Amino acid sequence: MWKAIIYKEWIKIRWTAAIFLALGILVLVNILLRIRHDILFVDAINYWYNILFRGYNYASMLKFIPFLAGLGIAVAQYFPETVNRRIKLTFHLPVKENRVLMGMHLFGTGSLLLIYAIWLILFVIISTVFFPPEIMHSTLITLIPWFMGGLATYFMAALILLEPVWLFRVLYALVAYGFIAMFYQRAGLTAYLPALPELAVLTVLSSIVVLFSGYRFRKGEM
Amino acid sequence: MYAIECKNLTHYYGKKLVYENLNFTVEEGKILGLLGKNGSGKSTTINILNGFLHPTAGECLIYGENSQHLTPATKERIGFLIEGHIQYSFMNIHQIEKFYSGVYSRWNSEPYWELMSKLKVTPTQKISSMSCGQRSQVALGLILAQDPDLLILDDFSMGLDPGYRRLFIDYLRDYAKANHKTIFLTSHIIQDMERLIDDVLIMDYNRILTQQPVDEFMKHFKQFVIKLKNPEADFPKNSMALNIERTKSRVEFYTYATLEEVKKFLSEHAVEYTSVEQETLTLEDAFIGLTGKY
Repeated sequence: MWKAIIYKEWIKIRWTAAIFLALGILVLVNILLRIRHDILFVDAINYWYNILFRGYNYASMLKFIPFLAGLGIAVAQYFPETVNRRIKLTFHLPVKENRVLMGMHLFGTGSLLLIYAIWLILFVIISTVFFPPEIMHSTLITLIPWFMGGLATYFMAALILLEPVWLFRVLYALVAYGFIAMFYQRAGLTAYLPALPELAVLTVLSSIVVLFSGYRFRKGEM
Repeated sequence: MYAIECKNLTHYYGKKLVYENLNFTVEEGKILGLLGKNGSGKSTTINILNGFLHPTAGECLIYGENSQHLTPATKERIGFLIEGHIQYSFMNIHQIEKFYSGVYSRWNSEPYWELMSKLKVTPTQKISSMSCGQRSQVALGLILAQDPDLLILDDFSMGLDPGYRRLFIDYLRDYAKANHKTIFLTSHIIQDMERLIDDVLIMDYNRILTQQPVDEFMKHFKQFVIKLKNPEADFPKNSMALNIERTKSRVEFYTYATLEEVKKFLSEHAVEYTSVEQETLTLEDAFIGLTGKY
């Protein structure tokens, strides 16, 4: 059963996942080329100075890529379920409704985490070529809220897409905007460090809100 | 044993009453056709049966379980055709068969591939790019391959051309009778139902007009055409007439009464007429006769 559900979800998101994975890799390549360019042709000392004393984030180009990937995966996965209320077919499968929804959600989250993991591994490799671990570490901490924001975007987009009533979708979108904006405030390197545990808890909590849309759909809200 | 049992079903959309205290049952092994005009509550009933709508009051039981909380084992016994033959149209016919075969333990792909072999589609063609008729055959083929005990078919004939519709109906009836399947279906094309269903359930706004074996209904429900001498004369109303449609001197009189009873009624009310004749009815005629043209 679960193998079949994974197969269905994979068919829905595979191209989107591949496109966003490639997009992230292209951005990382661009970051690599920029670092090389700036160190070789501008001035390595100035470049390091900016990172160490002015809080320059050499990975800032990556900021909204996890957000876009979260949104893209959610749309690819849940929009086809909302067309003609096709989610009825999914809820009719011989599995408990909440369980099938969480199974789909887990697959989407897992796919997103896999994409993020590939990006982060590449990012660490690129960073260790040019910078000492301390700089790489502080930049990585700066990236974490962006990636958590991407996950939160996926969770909130699923809630909005599966909601059967347009008015509620708009209300959820407003809440989602406020919630997700928290992850993308302009801030210096490692500025988010004290807030990371709270943001992590909020992200985890947001992972189950999709059940509410599923419940409202099954209740017959329209 | 009932496959479906709906008890005291009441539903409102906001303040609008759809129906109140609706009761009906579907026996195992029977094919029941739910007929009703648009807005009479057919889709509401289907949605309640499939657990996609909580009724305001009452309940529907499917194999003894409340339709709002079906166990996976019972869901496996139900094949559900959504109005418009909705399926996972982002897949092609091979992908969707592979998906469902991993879901249902009694999956038998033979009837599915038999139907698919008649479709002129490429193996990689997505269902979304198929014609309405082709999509309907994919959806129907999947339900047959699932081999459910109860088939709930919401407007199953939509998009099917007349030849295929006839073929499918004959196939479905033989399949259901040979395998003791229960079918609960709706269709806008009532003439198809006559060949298929055992029992008919006719709904009007807020109520059930009749539920009985279709043979009994067709035997006892009659249309008499009365030609009045005076086209301006009033025609008396009576509880014997379930519906009366009048065009000048021609009166269509729908009733369960016999010709003698109708004639007696006419003479008791001093209705002057030139002729009274019983017309042969199809199920569609009978449905329109019972529910009215408007």
